[in-house]
Amino acid sequence: MLDTIEKVINKISISSKDFLDIRYAYAMGESFTVRNGRFDSVSNQTTGGVAIRALIGNAWGFTTIVDIDEESILKSAEKAVRIAKIGSQFAKQERMIKDDWVFEGEGGTKLEIDPREIDKETKFEKIVQTEKAAREFSDRIAETSSTYRESHSKEFIINNKGTKVENENHVVRIMKNVVAREGTEMQSVFDSIGGAGGWELIQKWEPEKEGLKAAEMGLKLLSARKPPSGRMNVIMDPSLTGVFVHEAFGHACEADAVIAKQSVLEGRINNKVGVEEINVYDDPTLPGLRGSFDYDSEGTKARKRTLVENGILKEYFHTLETASALDMEPNGSGRAMNFNFTPLARMGNTYVDSGDKSLEEIAELTKEGVYLKNSYGGYVMPAKGQFYFSCQLGYIIENGEMTDMIGNVGMSGMTLEVFENTYAVGKNWKPKFLGTCGKQGQGIPVTAGGPDLGVSNIVIGGNQ
Amino acid sequence: MSDKINLHELAEKVIKLGLSFGADQVEAYTVYGAARNVQLERGSIRRFTDVANSGLGVRVIKDKAIGMASTTIFSHESIESTVKDAYSLAKVSPPDENFKTLPEDTRSTPEIKGCFDQNIIDLSVEGFTEMILEGVQEAQVRDDAIIGGSFTAGNGERFIISSQGIDRFSKQTSITGYLSVKIQDGEDIGNAYYFDSSKVLADFDHLIVGKEAGNRALKMLGSQKIESATLPILLDPDSCMGTISPIISSGINAFSVFNRTAYFVDKIGDAIASDKLSITDDPFYPGGVDSSAFDDEGVVSKKLELVRDGILNTYITDSYTAPLVGLDNTGHASRGSFASRPTPSTYSLDIKAGETAKDTLLEDLKEGILMIGSSIIDMSGNPQISAQINQGFYVKDGEVQYPVKNAMIGTTVFEVFEKIEDFSKEQQNRHGHKSPWMLLSPLQVSGAK
Repeated sequence: MLDTIEKVINKISISSKDFLDIRYAYAMGESFTVRNGRFDSVSNQTTGGVAIRALIGNAWGFTTIVDIDEESILKSAEKAVRIAKIGSQFAKQERMIKDDWVFEGEGGTKLEIDPREIDKETKFEKIVQTEKAAREFSDRIAETSSTYRESHSKEFIINNKGTKVENENHVVRIMKNVVAREGTEMQSVFDSIGGAGGWELIQKWEPEKEGLKAAEMGLKLLSARKPPSGRMNVIMDPSLTGVFVHEAFGHACEADAVIAKQSVLEGRINNKVGVEEINVYDDPTLPGLRGSFDYDSEGTKARKRTLVENGILKEYFHTLETASALDMEPNGSGRAMNFNFTPLARMGNTYVDSGDKSLEEIAELTKEGVYLKNSYGGYVMPAKGQFYFSCQLGYIIENGEMTDMIGNVGMSGMTLEVFENTYAVGKNWKPKFLGTCGKQGQGIPVTAGGPDLGVSNIVIGGNQ
Repeated sequence: MSDKINLHELAEKVIKLGLSFGADQVEAYTVYGAARNVQLERGSIRRFTDVANSGLGVRVIKDKAIGMASTTIFSHESIESTVKDAYSLAKVSPPDENFKTLPEDTRSTPEIKGCFDQNIIDLSVEGFTEMILEGVQEAQVRDDAIIGGSFTAGNGERFIISSQGIDRFSKQTSITGYLSVKIQDGEDIGNAYYFDSSKVLADFDHLIVGKEAGNRALKMLGSQKIESATLPILLDPDSCMGTISPIISSGINAFSVFNRTAYFVDKIGDAIASDKLSITDDPFYPGGVDSSAFDDEGVVSKKLELVRDGILNTYITDSYTAPLVGLDNTGHASRGSFASRPTPSTYSLDIKAGETAKDTLLEDLKEGILMIGSSIIDMSGNPQISAQINQGFYVKDGEVQYPVKNAMIGTTVFEVFEKIEDFSKEQQNRHGHKSPWMLLSPLQVSGAK
């Protein structure tokens, strides 16, 4: 495939100042869900095609094609150049990609046990037993489901500057979801494990134990205290710290948002954005996490990014274009969901690094407030710097001690205030938020995490 | 569509192949779509995109077990291996005793006018760009306004063929776009967006998109934190639809009803809301952005009165869920993509207007919150709602005072429906999605002050 793409690149005549890359991406995956004792979905998916980007003058042209013969790709590449030229007539912002960054190589997720060699019955067994254990626990468990997913993707990337990269990714995941119901009161419990790797990441999932744990928690939440409302001190667990550092802070660090003037972190490199105890990294080279990869979808070698060091903002997430525009180094953040999309500045495995406080010490410092656990996800308005996250459960903190459990509730705050209002950073960061990050219609696997974090002035949206 | 592929022939081939492997029933769902997109950055063109997407989803039934497979690659080998995969998965899956049959529907396909416009297909890149830049000009309410956005013009075809005699075809065009505007005075940020979407070029209002995005961004300047309080909430038509639509869609979906996780289980014939609420779902609205003559299983859709004067009339069903809840198939099967299994979903909701003028609703508000372009929903899917006020204003003595910053609403879906106090007589019609202004009795608002 690389040869075919290379031939097309060589046939397209553009100025050396312009940019052209061609990416062939192929992916296959399978997904099984068992719900309430029956198979809800048993499916596999294959996608494949070629994506062509041309930056001519100051505008991009982007085309895709599913036919992979040389003639079809050439025709599509010519169209990408043609529409980029038209766009450039209307474009006012200067845009270019430097010649400095050329990458060659092959990368891929390490697989100890290739999940494609595990028979389907073994995979079914894991989810069937998880779901069954939860379902049979109580008649107040209204709905139970468990899902297994694996995906295997390959990309070939060549550009006119000399980059030539082949990269493979393999991602596996097993999930459980329980809905407990009593009258009109419902509470959900969700959890999952998995990452970039093979069946070895799934083996440690003990189905019965996982099913029971979810069901027990669902029932407990039915009788949990109603969450409070108003502004208060909050301890975010590693999952919520993860969702904050990804959704609120991480998206604001994406250099395409910075250049578009849609980020509250624009112009703040080397400025203080938090207390000195705050260190934030994103590391796609950590093995076995959902956001782990060797090369991004532009062919740039992935590396660890230091976003915040001792409370000072140090780095953004870059594509080749954003690094050129801001005169910084690319850091392998140009990720695309599949051949139908262009690479955007994206995260991998983002986390707040550990501090030195135990959870008990943080609760003591909190005095009055809430400890919130297990994120459901959330959203953020990066231009305004306001975020909203939903969490599954929490505990009231009274006189520095955890007391009553509370059910699911949302929290809201201002991105730039959280790290400034952090009064305690916990020990032992954990990659607890396993997500599929959405941006401009593209969903990509990511992990986020951190330690327990004590933060003041967070708004809690309860009804008490 | 691609001159190399005939989607109907391809779908027929899938059915034959599946049956030849030994399947009891087979369904092929094929789609083709072409889209041109223009992305804007800081008020200027950033990228033109021209993509063609196609996909095949295959559902195979063997001894009541269901296997599904999909592909975007339409080579002979790929099609054959996709059908084989679906069959193999059905063979190894346990039977689903709830499954009765794939649907049969020999009724002719109703015609819905205004769903296809050749002008969208003929729109040149230059013409499209000039139109978008006119919208940008409207959004430029101040020289320093930061404008971003994205516009897409596209067309698509869909074939659904099954071994049970389903043979349907539809084609449509669409044009959709949004602009976001950010205005900054020091630390004070005003940020808003607005969108429009249509199946007909002449009905797409790019100028309103720019004008509304710009004016709303100006209005969002000067936001303030408020104290926690119990306050009535007035929702504009977009916020009303954004709140009511997800609650009713999840609440009466027969799949969730069967699983006992729908909000309104066992509530047909009962009051689920204030008697002010009446909702109709209309799949046949001419030119409606979500209108469709048949559902994603090829069953002819049905106009339904979902709620009348607060009383729930029906659930929405598809072929799998209709027998499970003891209702007819209402033709509401919907797939997230060609690769997904269908589940019931609504088309275009018409929320009945009231009799009070919207200005009166605002003037009569002694103290409360006005929400625009937002919604009161929760991400958890549970009935408890803990929602952020994304674009809201504090109102005192019938006058809008200032935008609120970092505030939330804590409630439940049941409380929202019960507390519907009034609807405006004015009704916004977003190409089939019709919604008035809605006033809710006091709800718990969490402030950051």
